[in-house]
Amino acid sequence: MVYKLDQRITPLSRIFLVLIFFILYAPIFFLVFYSFNSGGTMYNFKSFTLDWYRELFQDSRLLIIVLNTLVIALVSSLFATIIGTLGALGIHSIRKRQTKNTLLSLNNVLIVSPDVIIGASFLILFTMAGIKLGMYSVLLSHIAFSIPIVVLMVLPKLSEMSPTLIDAARDLGASQWNVLTKVVLPFITPGIFAGFFMALTYSLDDFAVTFFVTGNGFTTLSVEIYSLARRGISLNVNALSALLFLFTLVLVVVYYFISQRNRPGRWGVKK
Amino acid sequence: MNNKVTRNLYLFPYALWIVLFVVAPLLLVLYYSFFDIEGHFSLVNYKTFFTPVYLKMTLSSFWYAFLITVISLIIAYPTAYLLTKTIHKQLWLLLIIVPSWINLLLKAYAFLGIFGTKGIANSFLEAVGIGAKQILFTDFSFVFVSVYIFIPFMILPIFNALNELNPTLLDAANDLGASKWITFRRVIFPLTIDGVKAGCQVVFIPALSLFMLTRLIAGNRVITLGTAIEQQFLVTQDWGMGSTIAVFLILIMFLIISLTGNRKRGV
Amino acid sequence: MTNAIIQFKQVTKQYDNDPAVLDQVSFEIERGKFYTLLGPSGCGKTTILRLIAGFTEATKGDIFFNGKKINDVPANKRQVNTVFQDYALFPHLNVFENVAFGLRIKKMKNADIQQKVKEALSFVNLEGYETREIREMSGGQRQRVAIARAIVNEPEVILLDEPLSALDLKLRTEMQYELRELQRRLGITFIFVTHDQEEALAMSDEIFVLNKGIIQQSGTPIDIYDEPINRFVADFIGESNIVEGKMIKDYLVEFVGGQFECVDRGLNPNESVDIVIRPEDLEITTLERGKLQVRVDSQLFRGVHYEISCYDKDGNEWLVHSTKKAAVGDEIGLYFDPEAIHVMRFGETEADFDRRLEAYSAGDAHEQ
Repeated sequence: MVYKLDQRITPLSRIFLVLIFFILYAPIFFLVFYSFNSGGTMYNFKSFTLDWYRELFQDSRLLIIVLNTLVIALVSSLFATIIGTLGALGIHSIRKRQTKNTLLSLNNVLIVSPDVIIGASFLILFTMAGIKLGMYSVLLSHIAFSIPIVVLMVLPKLSEMSPTLIDAARDLGASQWNVLTKVVLPFITPGIFAGFFMALTYSLDDFAVTFFVTGNGFTTLSVEIYSLARRGISLNVNALSALLFLFTLVLVVVYYFISQRNRPGRWGVKK
Repeated sequence: MNNKVTRNLYLFPYALWIVLFVVAPLLLVLYYSFFDIEGHFSLVNYKTFFTPVYLKMTLSSFWYAFLITVISLIIAYPTAYLLTKTIHKQLWLLLIIVPSWINLLLKAYAFLGIFGTKGIANSFLEAVGIGAKQILFTDFSFVFVSVYIFIPFMILPIFNALNELNPTLLDAANDLGASKWITFRRVIFPLTIDGVKAGCQVVFIPALSLFMLTRLIAGNRVITLGTAIEQQFLVTQDWGMGSTIAVFLILIMFLIISLTGNRKRGV
Repeated sequence: MTNAIIQFKQVTKQYDNDPAVLDQVSFEIERGKFYTLLGPSGCGKTTILRLIAGFTEATKGDIFFNGKKINDVPANKRQVNTVFQDYALFPHLNVFENVAFGLRIKKMKNADIQQKVKEALSFVNLEGYETREIREMSGGQRQRVAIARAIVNEPEVILLDEPLSALDLKLRTEMQYELRELQRRLGITFIFVTHDQEEALAMSDEIFVLNKGIIQQSGTPIDIYDEPINRFVADFIGESNIVEGKMIKDYLVEFVGGQFECVDRGLNPNESVDIVIRPEDLEITTLERGKLQVRVDSQLFRGVHYEISCYDKDGNEWLVHSTKKAAVGDEIGLYFDPEAIHVMRFGETEADFDRRLEAYSAGDAHEQ
């Protein structure tokens, strides 16, 4: 308590923090602000209009892309969560330090690898394997790069679990299957949810990998935004970003509650 | 015995993933780097990489990544430090992280508007009397936007390291007569160095390889290793050369990871 | 033999090439008694518990339960239940569901589960706590939930792995009484592991003192306290004065330069031995009357008695528990009865030791 009182911030530091927050948020609000500009440019705010939003919702091609993106995100996260959780259970049960560390290093390769490398190498992989570039290659890639983050979210929960908990369950007559379903899985559920959520955001946000492995006719939102932005400014994109910002806020709130249950005071950051 | 069977059952899909999507792609990149554009086995790509054009490109890519990392660190460390001193620090941290969850391309797109010829930045410059300048498609805009994008990633690990710091250590340093600066230099910074290293790692590697930023913001004024790879794979269709650059990027990545590898300190 | 519920025959536990955690241990546990495995950390006491529970397998030797070999019976099929040191309560289940866990596994009818859980909770004085979450319970309450979770399955043996070590002193003493009382009411076998000798002495019918993977001595608390078999046991069970000595002949022993009358016999003449005298068996007296002459070095007031540390002229420390105060620096005499001297032979097995002690009491009876 005494320490808390010492934690006063000087006015200068306060200004510094406010400036940082301003810089971080200004571009986003800037985008949202001009999405209401009837002038059609990101300067010279003429008058308020919802035309860009209207146009957005009438663009059936874009709506299909949004749908694609959501389906890819949900399906890939689901698979990644299952495989990742199983992987975490497997890694956790390995006693040998050497093997465990090797697996963990391999696990982390895709986390630290730049997106370009993942994209380029997956492009080679799919071409060699004869998989047509399109929805399936994108889905497989998203599953692949989401698995390690699930493992990383589940593993700490597993090591947090006291081994006597499993002894206790067996002591009370639980079979191996019982131990898994009645003790281990309920215990690590918050970690699994956090992993699923992270996988979801990885997938929704990915641009580079999808850009490499998608073929003609299949696009996700990120790739679409890129091609729109390369063509120059169009306030459709502003309207889209305003909506995505709202969507992100909703996700943040959801994640906030999950992680509050999980372990208060820890935030994951995306790549 | 039973235990081993179930463990292998758990590990099977995961191991399959490691083989197919971690090991195989890396090997394939290495394999492809030995083929020239006509598909003949050769070392020509490696020879090309060591020509001045590519070496200069690598160096400049390094230089920009270094610049971006250092600037991010200079801004992020004090921010993280001040954040740990706020009362609702987890909430403020969350607010720092939220922008990192906004699609990166949208943020880059925002700067197209802000830095545009008639954009708000130039209006500001005119108002102060400096006059409008070409901001977009310069290396300044590239570094600025990159720093903007990477700052949350730098803040988070440093914040966590600072947050885990036992406050009694600071009291102890104080008690032993250390000034604020000495406490920072001899106690706080050494104990949070792992956070700094982690932050540098998550900034430096992507800074070498983000190609969409250079395309959108720097207008090809800056070519990073990532841009070069994308160019070779998707534009020139010279997968061999692209793979060769990728091999070097992977080597650099492993080098940086081993340099910034976090050995846990016993505190 | 008929009353033995658990038997260990030459059980060895060894990991890789490390020294054995348990070295050819054999013992019997009788039905309905309170046993304590006592020893310092790493002595093998928890390993014995884990072997009985089935969490680990013996490297060599056989373990019997009710006369049947159970080496290969998995933990979930054994009729023993464990109370863990950290309680190992399932954090995602409330108090009721924690206690009901074993019954649900057995697919018992819901009504029966309700009934049994209720009974078990009232046994440990936790009626009305059914819907509480584990994190809302205090340390002592968690302890009780853990016990209820074990007894609700009606095991024949309950294993307790240092269950009181996480509690504060006052609560620990309370729980000692409660556990002992609980064991009497249930009438089943308790095997209790601890490194706290006072706990062991206070609660047990029978104590096994372990060190370095070997049972050093087993017996009732009084036996072990009064007649420790060797220096380790004497030192571990209560504070002791231990010096080296020599058995001159039957009933006469020499140590710290004097010869003293004792009650031990049947040893070889001039055999080297360890001598134990308990601090409470030493009595402060005048220099002339004292069998030992010592100088008072320091003194602590322990509440019921003074703990006085003295040194003789050879530099041996003598601890004295006395209700009388002494003055630091004083030369005083120490008096003790012949019965207060415990003579310990080097490397004597428990069987030989018991035979020797029995011979004394037979001799006493004969003399009377």
